[in-house]
Amino acid sequence: MNRPEVWTYPQLLRQDLGRAVVWATASAREPAASLPWPLATALDPLPPGTETLVAIGGGSLIDEAKAFRAQRAPSVRLVAVPSRWGSGAEASPVTVLDRAGRKEIHLDPSWLPDVRVLWPELASRLPPELARDGCADALAHGVEGFLSPLAQEPLRQEIAPLIERMIATPPADAAWFELSASACAAQARSSVGVVHGIAHTIEGELRRSQPRFGHARLCAAFLWPVLRFDRTSFAKVDDLLRRHGLDPDALERAARRLFPPADYSTALPVLQARWRDVLRDPCTRTNSALVRPASVEFFSAFLAAGVAP
Amino acid sequence: VTVSNREKLKDLVIDTFLLDPAEFRFDLRRNEVETWDSLGVVSIAVGVEQTFGYHFTADEAVGIQGLQDIVALLQARGISFDE
Repeated sequence: MNRPEVWTYPQLLRQDLGRAVVWATASAREPAASLPWPLATALDPLPPGTETLVAIGGGSLIDEAKAFRAQRAPSVRLVAVPSRWGSGAEASPVTVLDRAGRKEIHLDPSWLPDVRVLWPELASRLPPELARDGCADALAHGVEGFLSPLAQEPLRQEIAPLIERMIATPPADAAWFELSASACAAQARSSVGVVHGIAHTIEGELRRSQPRFGHARLCAAFLWPVLRFDRTSFAKVDDLLRRHGLDPDALERAARRLFPPADYSTALPVLQARWRDVLRDPCTRTNSALVRPASVEFFSAFLAAGVAP
Repeated sequence: VTVSNREKLKDLVIDTFLLDPAEFRFDLRRNEVETWDSLGVVSIAVGVEQTFGYHFTADEAVGIQGLQDIVALLQARGISFDE
């Protein structure tokens, strides 16, 4: 798989990108305006003769840019600048598109950006909740990719040190940009699990009534409960972690620090109503522990059960 | 109450492939079950390891064409499915 070239922000400024345009999410338009290329108001159509598209935003925007470039403008160079960490879309062959509230998942390395840019100053604009949610998304990629039944031993050896670093890195640290990109690229070589199965299934419905719920927030709400579920369901989970030098309790404490209890309570009724769909989700079906129809009872009782490690 | 291995396997297959209990038979074939696709192969392998402690090799997992193949593989490891 070709990995995107990695540039720093100063390197980006020094590049000759030819006729370039910048497409930025609303919260990144102010820093994007400091770049020497014009801001596009829409992705489609691009100005005639565009040679480079610089996409600045979160995972959804970058994934839309990946799809647009692949399907509509294959000769245009794509430079992805994540404005927040978590999805790792800038480094992943997996592209998740929201189409009328349903998730379309494409796996195609040719859709990867040509370049991803590290612009750590963008992290200083992140509200603490978004930073926390992004950490949970990245940690979920690492943990679910590591524990996946499809993961081979060399991949686990590659992901374990990443998980160790994520456990030790504070949520506001810009190092999460790189950790997140590495975790996402790694999990694309195995699979994710039921954290993502839940997020993909209920995100659209939740967002209709609660616009603040995005994918990363759902990862924050379900990473700790799912990790607890996996550990209590299947002893192999702890064995695998320990065999690779990871402390399962320390990992669970890290997931718990990212856990938003009020969001979990809000999302739980939707989870219960959509449980059958969660069971059918492809991510759920490659979870490290078998997720059964009755497993919803674990999640229903999670907050009341006092299950702190 | 001791749950027999036959009961454990039956519950596992019903849960993994989201079957109605009335659809279950011990001679079910993979091509009769819509959810026994490539991801179903992964799920049932995880479920068997979780339930019976045996990890299928990749060749074993892809070679399974029906429930009787799972029974045979587990019986060969000393796991009894006698009534």
